[in-house]
Amino acid sequence: MPEETVAAAFDVYRFDPAKDRAPRYQRYTLDVAPHTPILTALLRIRAELDPTLTLRYSCRSAICGSCAMQVNAKSRLACETQVGPELERNGRIVVEPMRNQPVLRDLVVDQEPFWRHYDEIEPHLILDPKRPMPEGRENPMTTEEVERFKETPRCIACAACFSACPAVEADPGFPGPMALAKLYRFVVDPRDTAHQDRLLAIQPGGLWTCLRCHLCTEACPKDVRPSERIRDLKEMAIAVQGATEHGSRHAVGFKENIRERGLLSEAKLVRQTSGVAGMVGQLGQGVRIYRKKPEILKSPHAIEGIEEVRKIYDALDHQDEETAP
Amino acid sequence: MQRHEVVVVGAGLAGQRAALAAIQAGRDVAVVSKLHPLRSHSGAAQGGINAALGKEDSVDTHIYDTVKGSDYLGDQDAIEFFCREAGPTVVQMEHFGTIFSRNPDGTLARRAFGGAGFPRTIYAADRTGLALLQGLWERLGTEQFTLYEEWDLTNLVVRDGRVHGIVAFDRRSGAFEEIAARSVVIATGPFGRLYGRTTNAHSCTGDGIAVAYDVGAYLKDMEFVQFHPTALLESGILITEGARGEGGILKNAAGERFMSRYAPHVLELASRDVVSRAIVTEVAEGRGFTGPYGGYVHLELMHLGKEKVESRLQEIVDYSRNFAGIDPVTEPIPVYPGQHYMMGGVSTNIRGETNIRGLFAAGEAACVSIHGANRLGGNSLLETLVFGKEAGIAAAAYAETAPAPEMHAADLDAAVAPLRAWSSRPDGEDPSALRTEMQETMERYAGIYRNEADLLEGLQRIRALRQRFQRIRVVDQSKVYNVNLTDALEVGHMLQLAETIVVGAYARTESRGAHARTDYPKRDDARWMRHTLAQKGPQGPVLSYIPVTYTRWDPTERVY
Repeated sequence: MPEETVAAAFDVYRFDPAKDRAPRYQRYTLDVAPHTPILTALLRIRAELDPTLTLRYSCRSAICGSCAMQVNAKSRLACETQVGPELERNGRIVVEPMRNQPVLRDLVVDQEPFWRHYDEIEPHLILDPKRPMPEGRENPMTTEEVERFKETPRCIACAACFSACPAVEADPGFPGPMALAKLYRFVVDPRDTAHQDRLLAIQPGGLWTCLRCHLCTEACPKDVRPSERIRDLKEMAIAVQGATEHGSRHAVGFKENIRERGLLSEAKLVRQTSGVAGMVGQLGQGVRIYRKKPEILKSPHAIEGIEEVRKIYDALDHQDEETAP
Repeated sequence: MQRHEVVVVGAGLAGQRAALAAIQAGRDVAVVSKLHPLRSHSGAAQGGINAALGKEDSVDTHIYDTVKGSDYLGDQDAIEFFCREAGPTVVQMEHFGTIFSRNPDGTLARRAFGGAGFPRTIYAADRTGLALLQGLWERLGTEQFTLYEEWDLTNLVVRDGRVHGIVAFDRRSGAFEEIAARSVVIATGPFGRLYGRTTNAHSCTGDGIAVAYDVGAYLKDMEFVQFHPTALLESGILITEGARGEGGILKNAAGERFMSRYAPHVLELASRDVVSRAIVTEVAEGRGFTGPYGGYVHLELMHLGKEKVESRLQEIVDYSRNFAGIDPVTEPIPVYPGQHYMMGGVSTNIRGETNIRGLFAAGEAACVSIHGANRLGGNSLLETLVFGKEAGIAAAAYAETAPAPEMHAADLDAAVAPLRAWSSRPDGEDPSALRTEMQETMERYAGIYRNEADLLEGLQRIRALRQRFQRIRVVDQSKVYNVNLTDALEVGHMLQLAETIVVGAYARTESRGAHARTDYPKRDDARWMRHTLAQKGPQGPVLSYIPVTYTRWDPTERVY
């Protein structure tokens, strides 16, 4: 008994630098069962319609990380994305290469930027010769210590997060979600001896460029939740170094503003983040804001019920002390 | 031309471990791989890695279980060496940074696996291969070596019985290049894509094995093909043996726990060949379920509870939900056996040496043999690391004293000429059509159950496909990332290897381990207690036989 199929239209990004001046989209139509993975459909297109369609793929079971691409404008693994829901969502299936990495051909991108950032976080245990590994047996590791890795060991380096990240697009120097989640994995590893150095090294230009948009977490097929790991790193970085960076000062200033009054004081936040000299630099913008919405820059009085807000802060501080490692 | 002292082809666990050992021995090492190392198929291994670390367990029991699991075709000296290395190997991987699952006391957690007398399979949830691959790649990344990433191997250059290097092409530029080397390690993994239903990745096409066979290397025990009992029905995606190790059970359409009839003592945790044949028999005799993708049985995990299933079998939950639309917490998983592991490969000894000087092999591409006629779960990850290291050490030692390699311009021309011909034909055979026919042929005529008539028919069909391959055509004319060319290269490699499987299976008139002949259902120790060697001849594979090495265990009937 054959399964029911639907006619699905695939609009696939095509580009061969040897002969194409610009990318184009080619339409292929296939009869497929709705639960067919996009990868299976693309391989059928290669086998039945066009052997020149070029893509990376290997395991077809979401573990090798080869087939990340844009499916209807979202960074996904083609092997675990099914045709049916995409057709329902979009009426057709637009398949494009990942973003933030130059296209080599069709759906294949040059992953050099992705791997370079991975290499730069020193993705290996840094050991202290004065603290040798236990001879002939494993390092003990408690269940709690294993749980601190969170989901980071599941990362398959597919680069879907790197493709989805607007901070990578805006600043090619930003390491991107995968490299930072990998960094987190070493910072919480009890065998690693460079936790503080790693946190200090990543702060300038690294950690605080993250916009907290969570698109990486949405894109991640393995639930590594890179944006949450970046948040964890930020907290650890402040704990190690205090609020010394533009980004960390902004975060701490934000927190203190709310504790004090229950509302943001934008003017005060600029001073806390950028200092007095920084305020002078942003004077022009301040004047423009003042003309349009003067209330934004006025220091607000504390809101009604500020005591309740402060109680929440106190409770959270207390909780942090209890769970501190 | 590039030059290195040691060239390792393949960058999965075996290749990386060989490279690390050769680098540590002071050699200039290059790693050539058609995938980025972290995308290697080693990463797909789920269940775990065996080491007798428990107080109640012993290395001797691990040796015995492996010997018995091999149906007495494993070389016992090699198995003893292998099992002794297990503990130190796993501990070293932990020191390299691998993140394993742990017991509450902080030690490495262990689970039960098929064919094992004790729970001795150390694991990292159900992604042990990925955890090891990450740990090893992180460690290797601190060393100096050259990585040729996304390069396809086309030829080994062997002259005067000795290796001089390889020819490969860079997918990104399409440029062919000679890489001269004093020694070469083949670690290109398996060739499961010979079969239609396989747990193997698309890239598992046996390139290094075929290229070695082409220059006269012996292949050993190629007829022994392991079928994993529980592959997802439609896609063939692996559902780890760990699912049964954690308590999963198999049921037929009548709701009967049928393994009680095939392996009354250990039920679902019998050796893989036993469980696979049981499932095939159930379906063939009408007790299975039927659907658009053929007959199947149920793997049930529901009774284990949501918490256990979701924490210990996280990837399995995802696979079932995303690839079969099944939630294993509340529903049974439809499974049927799929090709999973090749016991055969390039014939080596414990040091990874082949019959060609300077040529070494390790991992699933090699056959030492420790798995004999059937591999036990948890032994293959261990094999990649133990024998990857040995091959790396031996290749480095050979390179230290070997004379400089001599590569000629003619070597490159000889390698490139046929591939150019594939691309310049106005018409010819389509690689993916040949691949599909080969897969159907192997599935139908050289699958789980075999007999003389089927194997003869299969051989004729494979030989006809090899004839047609002479007229293979590559349509894609681009130099950049031409996967159509890679398709053609791979199907040529697989067809060579398919022939060695069928010829070996036809000749072996007995049933042993994974090789089940319905016309010769008994194991025949008097005639067949020996390894098959296949060497390339003008008319196809030429077979010869060598004895199995025994130390302490005489063959007895295998009962689970």
